[in-house]
Amino acid sequence: MQIRPILAAMRHHKAGTVLIALQIALTLAIVCNALFIIQQRITRMSRPSGVSESNLFVIRSDWADKSDTQRIDAQMQADLIALRQLGSVQDAASTNSFPLRGTGWDNYIKLQPDQPRMTTDSAIFFSDDHTLATLGTRLIEGRNFTASEVAAQKPRDAMHAAQVIISKDLARRLFPQGSALGKTIYVSMGQAPSTVIGVTDTLQAHMTGSWAGPYAYNAVLIPARLLNDYTYYLVRAKPGQLEAAMRDAPKALFAQSRMRIIDHKDGVMSFAQVRQRAYERDVGMAILMGIISVVLLAITAAGIVGLTSFWVGQRRKQIGVRRALGATRGDILSYFLTENLLIGIGGVLAGAVLAIGINLWMVTQFEMARLSLAYVVAGVAALLVLGQGAVLAPALRASRVSPVEATRSV
Amino acid sequence: MLKMTHLSKVYRTEVVETYALRDFNIDVKEGEFVAVTGPSGSGKTTFLTIAGLLETFTGGEYHLDGIEVSNLNDNARSKIRNEKIGFIFQAFNLIPDLNVFDNIEVPLRYRGMKAAERKQRIMESLERVGLASRAKHYPAELSGGQQQRVAIARALAGSPRLLLADEPTGNLDTQMARGVLELLEEIHRDGATIVMVTHDPELAARAQRNVHIIDGQVVELSEDPRFHSVHAVADGAHG
Ligand SMILES: Nc1ncnc2c1ncn2[C@@H]1O[C@H](COP(=O)(O)OP(=O)(O)OP(=O)(O)O)[C@@H](O)[C@H]1O
Ligand SMILES: [Mg+2]
Repeated sequence: MQIRPILAAMRHHKAGTVLIALQIALTLAIVCNALFIIQQRITRMSRPSGVSESNLFVIRSDWADKSDTQRIDAQMQADLIALRQLGSVQDAASTNSFPLRGTGWDNYIKLQPDQPRMTTDSAIFFSDDHTLATLGTRLIEGRNFTASEVAAQKPRDAMHAAQVIISKDLARRLFPQGSALGKTIYVSMGQAPSTVIGVTDTLQAHMTGSWAGPYAYNAVLIPARLLNDYTYYLVRAKPGQLEAAMRDAPKALFAQSRMRIIDHKDGVMSFAQVRQRAYERDVGMAILMGIISVVLLAITAAGIVGLTSFWVGQRRKQIGVRRALGATRGDILSYFLTENLLIGIGGVLAGAVLAIGINLWMVTQFEMARLSLAYVVAGVAALLVLGQGAVLAPALRASRVSPVEATRSV
Repeated sequence: MLKMTHLSKVYRTEVVETYALRDFNIDVKEGEFVAVTGPSGSGKTTFLTIAGLLETFTGGEYHLDGIEVSNLNDNARSKIRNEKIGFIFQAFNLIPDLNVFDNIEVPLRYRGMKAAERKQRIMESLERVGLASRAKHYPAELSGGQQQRVAIARALAGSPRLLLADEPTGNLDTQMARGVLELLEEIHRDGATIVMVTHDPELAARAQRNVHIIDGQVVELSEDPRFHSVHAVADGAHG
């Protein structure tokens, strides 16, 4: 309605106008990307692990005497029998690692023994015939390991893996055309062939970082007890008895042998804790981005309030003159709202370009997805609304300037 | 056109009450050219701001163009200011951020006039004050006399029935003051009612009628021929 004269007048407050527009642009660019990062982290955190997480917990047992692998092997088997016998426990299995653990083994997977490059990479979980039941992970093809297939494995020895079970995603990656069942794969440097005897439903690897994106759901289950310096016991409590089982299990283990260390702090962890640890950096990042967004928005809003208030003070006389010449309070209000909208539009246009620019830079620098345009559109709308909200109070004050101000000599 | 009866205006501050106007009576007829004189602080500006609906009053009645204005809401008062009244201020009060053309356009925009008509009226009134060539200039680029002529053009562009001027020549030298007064006289001849506050007896003398205000009251409505003749002589002496 009065856009042209507002633009004309704005040329006389270039510095403030440009400053606010720039602030809006920067805020938009950063907030868009911050919200996008938050959304990405939330998406990552809400991925399924493929494990039935409630009622599951893990115990880490470090052996006091690490030299005697034969004793370790005997102890592990005895431990498992003791754990499975507990009233609060449904099932248990030993392993080197598990989904969401963060660190663990991952090996190159090849389809030919003399293949120079890997086909893909996969997490290695040492398992036994109880592992799938303990994790609560379904077998969608083939069969489980039998007790007799499970052998002892020393860390430095060639991997004993005549039979393997692989995750659905790994199967699809290795054999996109048909079933993986009965196929041969090579899971170690030892170049011994392994036959796929089963395929599980979705099963997440131990690594959760964004770099591991392509391998996040690749897992190979190997039928072996790893005779390492320590072992993990995956324990599934009977429904509703998680707390009791988490108390009972370490006691049972110590009753078996005191020649072990179970850390009093994180030696026994529910799977909920495992998940929380796996993603605590993502949560931290999301919170940080959230705080940055809120702070930036607040600063921008404050900047708009401050500058507009200053302008209203500076223009009291001309507001009075406008009122004397017939402007209604609504006209004055709409003048300042329109002025802010025009500055805001300038700012968000620059900000949208900047937002996309920052994202493209992050795409090349980090493992970052392309910013969805919906975020830019939502950000643009949010900043324009924020601007109008911030300008409202000073604009209302302007509209209440009396026409008699026109006669005051300043 | 403009009729105030027993009108009063009190300014209240924490410590004092100032009667800027008390039992103030005036009746300005359609088409009159009235000069208002009086000592400083007597209430001349107060009278003009109330007359121009820039401010409300405390007591009494004010009829503008037959309408009792105390019952009007803010929007209605804005509309009357916009359509019926033209203001000329001592300090010109042009908007410094806008050029001459845009300054004159301000009241026309508030009236919701179409762009073509606005432009025509702006150019007409600029020609009338002899500044058609300065449409793109900013106020700061004009002399005081030119600025006041732009302000007059702004007041004229809306074809107001009532023109209120508060010491329109107060910031101008004699030469420029005379030019402005001639312009006002011309506007008056075209039918506008003019109320002008002035300190200058020479200018006051050229009005049809003088109103003298002392202590917030009209003390003299002079159409005394002697009053005119005295100034006619003075005029001649200056001439
Ligand atoms: N906003 C206000 N608040 C308090 N008192 C005021 C206000 N405006 C005017 N007055 C007082 O009202 C009285 C009349 O003031 P007004 O400005 O009308 O005088 P004036 O005749 O125009 O004077 P001058 O010739 O100096 O311009 C003065 O005593 C002044 O102090
Ligand atoms: Mg005055």
